[in-house]
Amino acid sequence: MAQASENKRAITVGVFLFIGLAIFLLGVFTLGSQKKAFVKSFSLNVVFNDIQGLKVGNNVWFSGVKIGTIKKIQFYGSSQVQVFLSIEEEAHRYIHKDSKAGISSDGLIGNKIVVIDGGSPKFPFVEDGDKLMVNTTLSTDDIMKTLQVNNKNLVDITSDFRILARNLVDGKGTAGALLADQRVADNFKQIVENLRNTTAAADKMANDLKVFTEKLNTEGGLADRILTDTVVFARLQNSVNELQKTAVSAATLTENLNKASAKLTQTDNAAGLLLNDQPTANQVKSIMKNLDSSSKKLDENLEALQHNFLLRGFFKKKAEQQEQLNNKQN
Amino acid sequence: MFLEIYRVHIFVMKFFKEFLFPPYEGKEVLRQCYQVGYRSLALISLTGFITGIVFAKQSRPSLAEFGATSWLPSLVGIALLRTLAPLLTGLISAGKVGSSIGAELGSMKVTEQIDAMEVSATNPYKFLVITRVLATTITIPILTFYTALVGLLGGFLNVTLAESTSFSAYLQTALDSITFLDITASTLKAIVFGFTIGMVGCYQGYNSSKGTEGVGKAANSAVVIGMFLIFIEEVIATQITFLFRT
Repeated sequence: MAQASENKRAITVGVFLFIGLAIFLLGVFTLGSQKKAFVKSFSLNVVFNDIQGLKVGNNVWFSGVKIGTIKKIQFYGSSQVQVFLSIEEEAHRYIHKDSKAGISSDGLIGNKIVVIDGGSPKFPFVEDGDKLMVNTTLSTDDIMKTLQVNNKNLVDITSDFRILARNLVDGKGTAGALLADQRVADNFKQIVENLRNTTAAADKMANDLKVFTEKLNTEGGLADRILTDTVVFARLQNSVNELQKTAVSAATLTENLNKASAKLTQTDNAAGLLLNDQPTANQVKSIMKNLDSSSKKLDENLEALQHNFLLRGFFKKKAEQQEQLNNKQN
Repeated sequence: MFLEIYRVHIFVMKFFKEFLFPPYEGKEVLRQCYQVGYRSLALISLTGFITGIVFAKQSRPSLAEFGATSWLPSLVGIALLRTLAPLLTGLISAGKVGSSIGAELGSMKVTEQIDAMEVSATNPYKFLVITRVLATTITIPILTFYTALVGLLGGFLNVTLAESTSFSAYLQTALDSITFLDITASTLKAIVFGFTIGMVGCYQGYNSSKGTEGVGKAANSAVVIGMFLIFIEEVIATQITFLFRT
């Protein structure tokens, strides 16, 4: 009985230990297959200026498929970094010698990975120990720098908008006055009202014009005859020609008048002298004065002559003839 | 205190000296493996399963805040395989097994059974201490693997209920960030924890005194000191692993 119990206990412990070790081995092999630890591999290397925190053990992707891991990282040259990639043998026949390797990220905040781009089929496949060219990509830092600039611009823009909004609220500027000033608003309303009236008038005018043009297009009407009757058109053309001639004559006349009026402003001719020269004007005035005086005296002399005995008979006779002529007319 | 350290040192060194030489107490080791390992399996499995579920459930909101719930399996995997599985197993074993060993050996000490064994030409250290320490050193790593597995299953339950993820996809993501260094470090940690639990329990029980009161004290000390040492070892192991990782 005790022996059977002991055997049972031994089997139980054996099974317990076996399953425990099986779990361990299963874990190791699963991890191994996932990390391609037991897969035949070959090595490639890439020289980067900046590996952006890439670590040994990080994955290598080709067309979105994990094909290997980072095996070793070491400094190269003055400040570059050489990264050795352990690539599974199966991927050998897809990577060409002109393929490029770049550093990317497994998701936005994921682990850093090396991504290999296909390359051209014109080139042969890579071999163990080959060095791949570098595909420069934007790092998270670069993206963040760009975002920072965008943020700054956004801050400036929102700041400007804040000032703009404040001015609008305070009624500053044209737009602010439009929004805040009651008088401007009233004026604006009035403008809108005027515009509405103008639009209505324009509409009416357009209708009138429409009616008018319809009338013009009526057959037998003036416009229609002007446009369609060749006789009327010839007459009109003649009239226009005559008008043109008249206009030419008028132009000539105007030119002559211009010349004449120009001469009137000068003093080298009689009319200009009379109009513009003060001494001449004075002389003319003096002559006119003398003439006035002379005519008065002459009038007196002639009055005296009428009463002269030598001429009295003549004037008497003339007066009688005038009287007879008036009587005949009446 | 220094005398105590010296006694511990002698006790531990005696293990390595006695362990290599016959007679080998195979049956007793097997019996202790049964007691320490198999009898703790249900408790450890349940605790590990609950830990996996709770950890995944508690971590989900934080990850969901920045749309990274797809990282949950990876987080559960890292947490369980690197730290939680060995630590949880160690602490539970320190409570269950450590106290049991301390109480059992303490009881044997105060009832002078150990002295009787010495008189009857049986090496009590070899029969009582080495067998128990070997049993804890072997079974606690095994229990750790169980804990990791059921913990991952617990995490999977939470993930698949929320996102209908397949087990293979879950396992792939969970193991994606795990390296062989993590597995090795966890296994070594579990071995050290097992050795510590067995050694502390045996030392406290083997050196107990003052009758039944001493038995209780030995059991209590085995748990407290065992847990304390496990935490200290966890810190040291993490630092050493970190050195290897970088």
